[in-house]
Amino acid sequence: MATETGTKFQAVSRLRGTVFEYVSLGASVFGIVLLAALLVYVSIDAFDLANASPQWLLTYFLTLVVPLIGFCLYSADDRQITRRTGLAVGGGLVVSALVFTGVEALVGPIDRLSWPLVYLFVFVVPTTGYTIFAANQETVGGVGFGLLGRLLGGTALGLAVGVLFLVFDPQLWMLAYTFGLLPAALAVGYGQWRPDSGMSSKALPIGIVGLVVAVGLRQVVPMYPTDFIIYIWSVSMPIAAGGAALVAGQRGRTAALSVGLVPLAVAVAGGFAAAGFGLPSKTVLLVLVTAGVPVAVFISRTLTDGEGTIGLVLPILLAAGVLVGALIVDFAGFPAPDPWLDPSYVTSSPSRTPVDAGLYPAIVGSVIIIALVAVLSFVLGVGTAVFLEEYTAGSGWMGALTRLIQVNIANLAAVPSVVYGLLGLGLFANFLGFGFGTAVTAAFTLSLLILPITIISAQEAIRAVPDSLRQGSYGMGATRWQTTKNVVLPEALPGIFTGTILALGRAIGETAPLIMIGAATTVFSAPDSIWSKLSAMPMQIYAWANFPQAEFRYGVVAAGVMTLLIVLLGMNATAIILRNKSEGV
Amino acid sequence: MATQQSDSLITTEVSSSQTGRSAAPDETVISSTDLDVFYDADKALDDVSIEIPEHKVTAIIGPSGCGKSTFLRCINRMNDQIPACEVDGELHFHGTNVYDPQVDPVALRRKIGMVFQKPNPFPKSIYENVAYGLRVQGKEVTDELVEDALRNAALWDEVKDQLDESGLDLSGGQQQRLCIARAIAPDPEVVLMDEPTSALDPVAASKIEDLIDELVEEYTVIIVTHNMQQAARISDKTAVFLTGGKLVEFDDTQTVFENPAHDRVEDYITGKFG
Ligand SMILES: Nc1ncnc2c1ncn2[C@@H]1O[C@H](COP(=O)(O)OP(=O)(O)OP(=O)(O)O)[C@@H](O)[C@H]1O
Ligand SMILES: [Mg+2]
Repeated sequence: MATETGTKFQAVSRLRGTVFEYVSLGASVFGIVLLAALLVYVSIDAFDLANASPQWLLTYFLTLVVPLIGFCLYSADDRQITRRTGLAVGGGLVVSALVFTGVEALVGPIDRLSWPLVYLFVFVVPTTGYTIFAANQETVGGVGFGLLGRLLGGTALGLAVGVLFLVFDPQLWMLAYTFGLLPAALAVGYGQWRPDSGMSSKALPIGIVGLVVAVGLRQVVPMYPTDFIIYIWSVSMPIAAGGAALVAGQRGRTAALSVGLVPLAVAVAGGFAAAGFGLPSKTVLLVLVTAGVPVAVFISRTLTDGEGTIGLVLPILLAAGVLVGALIVDFAGFPAPDPWLDPSYVTSSPSRTPVDAGLYPAIVGSVIIIALVAVLSFVLGVGTAVFLEEYTAGSGWMGALTRLIQVNIANLAAVPSVVYGLLGLGLFANFLGFGFGTAVTAAFTLSLLILPITIISAQEAIRAVPDSLRQGSYGMGATRWQTTKNVVLPEALPGIFTGTILALGRAIGETAPLIMIGAATTVFSAPDSIWSKLSAMPMQIYAWANFPQAEFRYGVVAAGVMTLLIVLLGMNATAIILRNKSEGV
Repeated sequence: MATQQSDSLITTEVSSSQTGRSAAPDETVISSTDLDVFYDADKALDDVSIEIPEHKVTAIIGPSGCGKSTFLRCINRMNDQIPACEVDGELHFHGTNVYDPQVDPVALRRKIGMVFQKPNPFPKSIYENVAYGLRVQGKEVTDELVEDALRNAALWDEVKDQLDESGLDLSGGQQQRLCIARAIAPDPEVVLMDEPTSALDPVAASKIEDLIDELVEEYTVIIVTHNMQQAARISDKTAVFLTGGKLVEFDDTQTVFENPAHDRVEDYITGKFG
């Protein structure tokens, strides 16, 4: 009898758990779907996809997407993935056509959407993403996307450097490089080659003296080479030399020479050629160097490793796809969309007429603000976090002070951004005289705004470093600074990068504090110094959203949002790369 | 410096004890008088007075929680890192009270290397792990010094082809030997080892025992262990701590194991309690 009652397992009610599960699932899906719908509409508007003819879409689908997916499937080399992809691409076509026409028949026409677009966004884009992800895990795909990433990343870097030189004096940079950085780097190099010379330890004083000399010379020297030559000497050559040094250690001298010299020669030639075509020669030079050197290093490594070399064709495959697609479209006269987000949009100034409107000054403004904020908040945030975590004692009045600061930092993170704007207006713009709406005022204000987040995330990262490592370092007779510099910071760096760049993402999208410090919503020329008045992307987008013409609201704003998102994604990608790099050591 | 001293000792060495090491009159290198240690209000060491001889292996044994690690940390002032910890009394290293305000703990730790209970190599290459002490102490880093340290730690043959790889990729026993190499690379005078073989298999453990046997020609070694046989095998002197942080017995290893003065020590050694 006893066993009978003992083995009766009645069903335990899981109702509440199940309800909770589905409610939370529904809530998150709801949010994601809404955001996805918004992004789809933004990209449709920004690229004018609503006016793309089905033939146009089909052409590029065949010349661009199909080869890309094919490459990925070849690289992934997994039957299951191939089957899934085929099912999504093929079945998706039928499903989206049927469902979309069904819905339109029952409910009525849907604005600016057609079934090919639905197919594109609901099936093609996610499937392509999935296959890229799968391919990236394997050697061939890893090589292909590694090369592509270096191309794109290098290009973005070159453009960013070009933008920064609009504001920061290239002549001062040349002097600083020639008299400070170059001698210091040579000292380090010589010190590594001949360890007994003790040159490495002299690098820092040499560099500092050189920088001081450079600043002094800038005041007195009246004549400088042209910017093009400055860029060759003090930007392109060091990058090429760095790439060569990377390769030299493992692959010998010939490889190093070609990795350094070939991109340099191409870039210089490209720069001269660009001038002939009326293109900005300096930008072309920078982009060719910043993209060319990493690409050359990557190709050299891949070739010596000899694995997955076939992946190197990926960029050619894609470029050919675009070219062939364009030829076919042109030849057959398929109606093509006229995207708002095109080269002229990102290179021209704002305008009252939608077709002429461009985001260039605002992009430059945002890039400069972000560069300054990145430096300021990184230095201040990491410094404060190191001080709070490593240097203050846990007890005594110092400990109490630390705890007080700690609590207040957490509170500061929750202060609304307008309040920071007010602080920036009072402190930086007025009291310190940095000027209303200038890059410096904006950068300081936004740095303050994100400082609490930077500090807290850096603290988390530092706290996550196991104490046994610190003990090990102290046990070896290291000072606190040596321990922090050699053990704690390298371990914490990935986490610090992640936190800082996420915080930067917040700074780049802020408008309220910029309005408070008197930044203009619209500026017609790009800033040419850190003291000039500037606008930022979100401000300009906000201004356009209030314009009467519908083209602004549906085209220009969408293109602006798209640009902002691309810059943000680029920054996040940088964060991930930096994190992986510093973790990989 | 340590090398020179040991050279002069080796030449006059007469094998006597079961470990076959010098029976010459012991020169005290570390001595404590009435050392008390508190963690907040809890007493972890109670009135410890001890004289540790140079170029000998001194074993510290005792039940868990009796303050062995605490005592070890007193010697190179690693207790300074624990805010709750307070040290009372004196501990002399070559006649200097290390708790004198004049003494810089960083300088002290450069003379007294430490191997921790749990292997804790840095997330750097094997080479950089060994070179770390040299670097932070401002000494010159040469490939020979790194190789010597790894050879002394009986690790060289296993890692000589992978010096650029991360120290974390080694096995637990290899990591422990890497930590030993790291500790001896800057050539300290004393090496403190906190249960260096507790996580090791018998083969790796005996490698480390052999290593300690060699180390003692150049260094003074103080080792905490829970393994009675190990203490009996490798040490010249044995200190027995019992619960409450009291140093109950300190004598030649042979005497402690064969003829202990206290019944409680005998009970502990023979496994009747502990
Ligand atoms: N960081 C610390 N904070 C507070 N109390 C501590 C700390 N470290 C040790 N103690 C206390 O001091 C006493 C002695 O600890 P200790 O680590 O020295 O023991 P042990 O002999 O090394 O033990 P085991 O053999 O388990 O390693 C214990 O009661 C312990 O609770
Ligand atoms: Mg212990």
